Order: sequence, then structure tokens, then C-alpha cells
Amino acid sequence: MTTEAAPSDIQVIRPSKWRGIFTQETIATSVASFIVAIAVILPLMALVVNSFLVLDDMGFDTEWGLANYSEIFKGRIIRKAFLNTLFISSMCTVLATFFGVSLAWINARTNCPWREKLEPFNLVPFFLSPFVGAIAWHNLASPKVGLLNNWARSLFGIQGHLFNVDNIFGIIWVTGIFFTPLVYLFVIGSLRRMDPSLEDSARTTGAGLWRTTMSVTLPLVTPAILSGAIIVFVTSAGEFGVPFKLGSPYGYETLTTQIFTKAVGDDANHYLGAAMSMILGVITGLFIWIQQRIIAPRAYTTVTGKGFRPNVIDLGRWKWAAFAYNLGYVFVAVALPILCLVIVSLHPVWQGRVIPNDLTSINYQKVLFFWSPNSISAATNGIKNSFILASIGASIAMLLAIVISYMIHRTKGFGSRILDFLCVVPIGFPGIVLAMGVLVTYIKTPIYATLWILLLGYITRFFPYGQRNISSIMLAVSEELDQSSRMAGATWVTTLRRITIPLLKPGIFAGWVLLFVIFLRELSISIILYTAGTETLSVGVYYLSNFENEPLTAALSVAQTVVLLLCVVIFRKVAGKEALTA
Amino acid sequence: MNAETANGSYLEVANLVKYFGDDRAVDGISFGVPQGKFLTLLGPSGCGKTTTLMCIAGLHKPDAGDIRIGSNAVASVSRGEFMPPEKRDIGMVFQSYAIWPHMTVSQNVAYPLEIRKLDRSEIDDRVREAIRLVGLEDMAEKGATQLSGGQQQRAALARAIVSHPCLLLFDEPLSNLDLKLRERMRVELKRIQHEVGITSIYVTHDQAEALVMSDDIIVMSKGRIEQTGGPHAIYARPTNRYVSNFIGIANLLEGRVTRAGGDRGEIEVAQGESRLLAPCLLAEGLAEGDAAVLSVRPENIEAVKSKPSGPAVEGEVVQTVFLGNWLDCRVRWGEFEWKVQAHPREGLRTGDKVYVCLDPDHTLAVRP
Ligand SMILES: Nc1ncnc2c1ncn2[C@@H]1O[C@H](COP(=O)(O)OP(=O)(O)O)[C@@H](O)[C@H]1O
Ligand SMILES: [Mg+2]
Repeated sequence: MTTEAAPSDIQVIRPSKWRGIFTQETIATSVASFIVAIAVILPLMALVVNSFLVLDDMGFDTEWGLANYSEIFKGRIIRKAFLNTLFISSMCTVLATFFGVSLAWINARTNCPWREKLEPFNLVPFFLSPFVGAIAWHNLASPKVGLLNNWARSLFGIQGHLFNVDNIFGIIWVTGIFFTPLVYLFVIGSLRRMDPSLEDSARTTGAGLWRTTMSVTLPLVTPAILSGAIIVFVTSAGEFGVPFKLGSPYGYETLTTQIFTKAVGDDANHYLGAAMSMILGVITGLFIWIQQRIIAPRAYTTVTGKGFRPNVIDLGRWKWAAFAYNLGYVFVAVALPILCLVIVSLHPVWQGRVIPNDLTSINYQKVLFFWSPNSISAATNGIKNSFILASIGASIAMLLAIVISYMIHRTKGFGSRILDFLCVVPIGFPGIVLAMGVLVTYIKTPIYATLWILLLGYITRFFPYGQRNISSIMLAVSEELDQSSRMAGATWVTTLRRITIPLLKPGIFAGWVLLFVIFLRELSISIILYTAGTETLSVGVYYLSNFENEPLTAALSVAQTVVLLLCVVIFRKVAGKEALTA
Repeated sequence: MNAETANGSYLEVANLVKYFGDDRAVDGISFGVPQGKFLTLLGPSGCGKTTTLMCIAGLHKPDAGDIRIGSNAVASVSRGEFMPPEKRDIGMVFQSYAIWPHMTVSQNVAYPLEIRKLDRSEIDDRVREAIRLVGLEDMAEKGATQLSGGQQQRAALARAIVSHPCLLLFDEPLSNLDLKLRERMRVELKRIQHEVGITSIYVTHDQAEALVMSDDIIVMSKGRIEQTGGPHAIYARPTNRYVSNFIGIANLLEGRVTRAGGDRGEIEVAQGESRLLAPCLLAEGLAEGDAAVLSVRPENIEAVKSKPSGPAVEGEVVQTVFLGNWLDCRVRWGEFEWKVQAHPREGLRTGDKVYVCLDPDHTLAVRP
């Protein structure tokens, strides 16, 4: 017979009080949140504080004031740079959105021939370095030494030049084609997850294909398009490499190139740099906030979970046009730049023409063979440092990502909401802004001028990408799988080791490769935080481009590109086709 | 294993409270389960059954109250004590079965024993035994993803019992199965529980399941206990309107107690001018003059054409549904429609004038 329990009157064994507080779980999660909080908040605080410190004319003392901010809006150069940034980002967003949406639609919804074969190539620019893209396009289409212009001159007898990418439109072009995959990924994911019966039911009401696409399909993917567009805007506003290569030397400055000159070099002024970073960070942060809180929640989740393939639209003869268009994108975004770099890298000096008799591998020897006496240490150091940073950084970031995702999705306390927020914050700030914060925070500590400060900057800025990867899988994996391990007598750590992590393994590995790629090509954080000896791969490219010649730059760029392409192949193997769209 | 209190409970839950934000998912419930018994928490979805179970398992921390399993005080909020789930020696079967997809069936079942660091040979023996008990011998080396729902459920059960835990918890384990399989698994599950003899707590929203399987049932609503008792008592003697309505089908009419003596009395119900004074069994705590609800099940009502000697009211048959062994009919009495299970022999037809008469031994006055 069941009875209302009376106060128990037998001798019972009681667990220790402290055990309830100091469990493995609470210790690990507290440590992780503490690390994240410090890493994310400290640089941003330092940025705010420093932006209100004004350097006096002598450049020695500082006092509180708003002069840095008024300089941004009054100073001729900086104000121009600010307007350039807005213009470039807006136009880049338009271009990338146009390419991204049209390519996604062609690949997900039409009978464009060989689209399964082309599809992976549409994503390749996502993995490559836009800085290297700018270098390639400079060699392709700068007025004097551009390969395309030279061909045009010799083939068609054109005077002067056909193309010129050494200006704002060149920057828009290169960032536009390189950030196209950001929109493409959002939109194609949304198109693929859409329940085909939504379109079918529109068809049964008598709406034609075109009508259905416009009145059902497009509205359903609008949140995805907006999300992609905002990400492109923010990414291009924070892009340093492309404007540095195609704009700065020709008098077109942007906020990022200006921040760079304030962080290092002759007229360095960290306080003014901090204020510019604040302006850039506030703009991008606001956009990301809009995307995360307003647009992303409105995305229609029409997942049916079935392995269906939605009906495709028969384009008739136009399918060849669609195919040519897609092929054209891959050609200008991937094939042409890489081809050009390879050609340039094989010449001792680059004069804008292919000279078959001069072809040499000397450039590769100089940038790769660290043992050879005429190797360039900025390049060889950069390769070594980047591999160290990328492998260690990706590992630490993924470890952090696992613990943080676990906290957000499994612990569900108040702390988990704060953590969720802290994980979005770094996404809101361009690398160069965060790096500026890290610089002013740690410049007087021993980690400055070591690889550690780069590692810190990388992980802080990019661990949210890994965390999102893990979180999306963790959401799909039932919590009961973990809980039943605890009930079977396993501790939190054992459960993590034997159940949680094995279930997340594909996601962990995919996240690791993704971070490895990002770290291996990282430029805007490294350029602020490196010193002699701690160059990275992209800093090496920057160094060669600035202080050596184009063929050497091209050689190191090709080397970097080859490694990144290898990573793409590995990523697709481990993560499967759909991984990035999740 | 054998520590029991004077009142005979092996598991004891006292004044358990659990908040989610400002909502009280569990609102101060207390109960006990004697050793080896099968207790069911029954209630509609969202009434706090899972939360109660999770608190016992240690997967949720209670906000108030005490929980004791055997001689272990596993959670006591007032003393600030909390034993982590893995120390509690409990087997649990989840609604989704939670069979780990990256392991085979026998790896799944062996896991609790590996955690306890048993010898390999003993692990093998006990895994084989548990798998045999649930009838999955043929599937032992299959991956978890190759199993059907029913097989996953058996595997989950094997994994829960393999370590001979001191307590078994089930959270709606049959709700994902189709009806046929569910009915078979009810019996099977009960058999296995009986065979291993482990004290069990079972959560369900399905009253049939609860009635078939349980030694005792706790009916819950909104985080509170409505009634506790054996299946028979819960069905035959509900003590309040909620339980009457939730379990089985009942005619419920608001009225007033007009006579009370011991557990018998009389209840008055009325429709317009027509009044019925029905002798009945009184729920505990009802006294003369109290508002009460008349509760009577359709199978305990007779509808007859000739006026009977006992208390009865006159009504009109408004609907009949022939179901083979009985006739489901509705008899209108004022605004109220009696649900009556009549014998087909009576030959009732729509439009007939009939007398509804109640059996005093099966007519209840329950709390509103
Ligand atoms: N993790 C949780 N966070 C917030 N609210 C919860 C959580 N789990 C359950 N609840 C709420 O507590 C109440 C009881 O839930 P639950 O115990 O799951 O009910 P049952 O198992 O009886 O269907 C519900 O209102 C539910 O919404
Ligand atoms: Mg439940």
C-alpha cells in the first residue's frame, strides 16, 4: 500500500553537501564560461576605454575626451575612408546577393546540367583568402601589368587598358565574388530544407511555375537572403586584405586600412585606432544584432526530415544559359585567379606577359625552402607559425566549443543564456576590431609579441563558428542519450567521453577543419598583432607584396591556396555536402 | 537494499517542489513505494510526471523537499544535500529509448557494467542474460539504428536492468509504439519487472496502461497529487471530480449531500423541477450539506421502460449506438444527458421514455 510519506525515522546515509556544488560538470563549465567571458569582454572594454583617451600633440600624454571621435567625422582622410567603407560594403552586398541567390536557385531548383558537379566549386571561394584573390585580380586586371589588359592590347590592338581593378570598383568586384558563397549557403540551405508540398500546393491552385517561385518560394527564403546579405555587409566592412591591396596604394582608404595604419607604423595612434574600431564595431555589431535577433528567428523552419528531392524547374533551352552563368562564376572566382597566380609565380619578374623562356621555380624555393640560404624568413616563418596556430588554435577552440555548447543546450540555467550571448558577440566584430582590442589590452603584458597573443585573438574571434557547428548537432541529438548514460552510473566526464563526444564526432572534426582553414588564411587579426618572428602565412604574403615582388607574392599565395584546397576536399569528405548549410 | 521505514516505503518522496522559472512544475508532492512494487504516475501531459521522475533520477535538482531511496537520502533541499545521478543506482527507460546509435545492442547493454568495472566474463554473462530476458537474442550484435521501435524499447529495458539497480524508472516507454505492440509490451514489461523484482516507478498518460500494470497509481494534475490508490480503488472509488472524469467514463452531476453517515449517504441532484435523491457512497471528508458531485459509470446505470421501485428519474432516449455486447445510449434528463450502457435485450430505441435508476453500491458522491 502506498502511503503519504511520514518523516523518515530510520538511520539514513546522507551525501556530502559539498559534492553537490563541486561536481566535474560545474567546475568544467564554470572554468569555460570564465575563460570566454574574460576573452570576449576584456578587449571590448579596453577598446571603449582607449577610444576616449586623446593623445596630445607631442604624442606622449593622454587625457580624456571625445577628440578621437570628432577626428573621424571631421578629419578629411578618415571621413573619406568611412564613406568608402559604407559604399564598398553596400555595393559588395548587392553584388554578392545577386550572385548568391541566382546561383543557389539554379542549383537547388532548376534542371541546370551538371549542377551536382559544379555545386562544390561554388563554395570554394568560401575557403580561400580574399587577400590572395585581390593579388590575383591585381595581376589579371591592373592597367599596366594586368594579364587581361596585355592580352587585350596584343589581340585587339586596344590602346590603354580594358580593365582596372586598382580602385573602389575593383574592391567591390573581388569582395563581391569572394563573399558570394555566404549568401549562397544561407539560401541554398533554406531552399533545400523547404517542404516541397508548399510549392506543390501552390501549383495545384493553378499558379504557374514562375508565379509559384515568386509568390511562395521567394518569400519563404527571404529571411535567408537577408541573413546572408547582412553577413556579407559585415564581412566586407571588416575586410582588410582586399582594400589594402587594391585601394590603399591608389589613394582609396577604408576604415580597416586606416585602423591598420593607426595600429602599426610611423603615425601609430592606438587611441585613434580604438575609436575607429569602435565606429566600425558598432555598425557591424548592430547589423549582426539585427540578423540574430530579428531576422534569424523569422526564418521559416519547414523541415520535413525526409530525404526528399524537391521538384526541379525545367528551364528548357535556358538551362544552358544557367550552366554558362554558373561556370562563368566558378571561372572568375576560382579558376582564373588561381591560374594567373601560378603563371605569375613562375616568372622571375612580372611584366604582365607570359615569357615561356624565363619560367623558373626560384620563387617557390625562396618562400618554401626554409633551409635554403636565400629563403625569405617572413615567408617561411609565416608558414611554420600558421600551421602551429591553426592546429593548436582549432583544437583549443573546438574543446571550448564542446563545453560551451554543452552548457548552452544541456545545463539551461541563467548562465547558459549569458554564454549564448557571449558566443554571438565576437561574430559581431570584424577581426581587425577585435585585434585592436586585444592589442590595447595585452600590449603591456608578456604575451605581447608572442604567438600566444595571436592564438588568443584567433580563438576569441572564431570559436563561435565551431560552437555553432557543435550546437546544431547537439540540438539534433536527444538529451536523453546523455541522461541515460548518467543513469547507467557514468559520471559527467565519462558521459562526455563515451557518449556525447562520439555522437558529435563528425561535427567536431568538420568544425576543426573549418577553423583550421580560417586560421591558416587569417590576415586582419594577424596584421595587427604580429611582430618580427611571429609572422603568419597571410602576413608573409603581405610582406612579400609590400616589400618584395609580385612573383614571390604569387608563389606563397599559390602555396597557401593549395593547402586550403586540400582542406576543402577533406572537409567535404568528413562533413558531407550539407554540413555548411546547417 | 532492504532498508524500509516503519511505514513500509522503500522509495520516499516528501514535499517535492520543482520550479521552471516561475512555474511550479511539481507543487509539493509526497508519496512512498514499498520494495518491489510497481507505482504509476498517471496524469495528462504537462502535469509534472516527467519532472517528478527526473528529480528522483537526479537529472533535475528539486527546489524543495526530500527524496530517499532505501537508506540513501539522495536529495534534501533543506540540508543542501544532493547525490549526483550516477551514484543513485537507478535504471531508467526514456520515452525516446535513448539507445546510443554509435554502439551495438550488446555494447549498449554492457555499458552500465563497464562503468561499474566488472570482469569481462561477468559482463558477458549478465549482458547475455539481460538480452535473453527481453527476447533480443537475435539482435545482440546489430547496431542500434537497425532496430525497430519495439526492439529499441526492449534494448533500453535490458540496459536499465542489467546492473540490477535498486530502482527502475520508466518515462512513457510505450507511447511511441503502435497500439497492438503497446498492448503486448504492457504485459511483457510487467512480467519482466516481476521477474527481476525491482521497485519501479512508471510514468504514463494512458489510463489503460496504468490500470493494467500497476500495483499502485498516483493520479496527478498541475503538479499535485489528486488521488493515490490501487487500480481497482482508483477506478471504483474516485474521490474527486477530476479523477472520476480522467479515469474511464462517468456521468457527473453537481449536487449536494443530503444525508451522511459513515461512508454512506445520499446526494441530491436536480434538473429544473425534477429532483433525484440518490443513496450513494460518500468520498472521504464529505458531510451533510456539502456541495458534491454525483459520479456514476455508464455500466452501473440501468435504463428501464417500466417504473422501478427504487429512486429513478424519467428521461428520453436521444441516441443509441449498438456495440455488439452492449448498447451505448444517451438519455436526456432536463439539460443533462445520461451515458448509459444498456443490455441489447432491453430493446431501447431513440425516442423511448425510460427510467434511469442508479445502483446505490456504485453511485458515488465525490468532492467537486
Ligand atoms: N526543462 C524545462 N524547462 C522549462 N519548463 C519545463 C521543463 N521541463 C518541463 N517543463 C514544464 O513543466 C511542466 C511539467 O512538465 P513535465 O514534467 O514534462 O510534464 P509531463 O511529463 O507530465 O508531461 C510543463 O508545464 C512543462 O512545460
Ligand atoms: Mg513527460
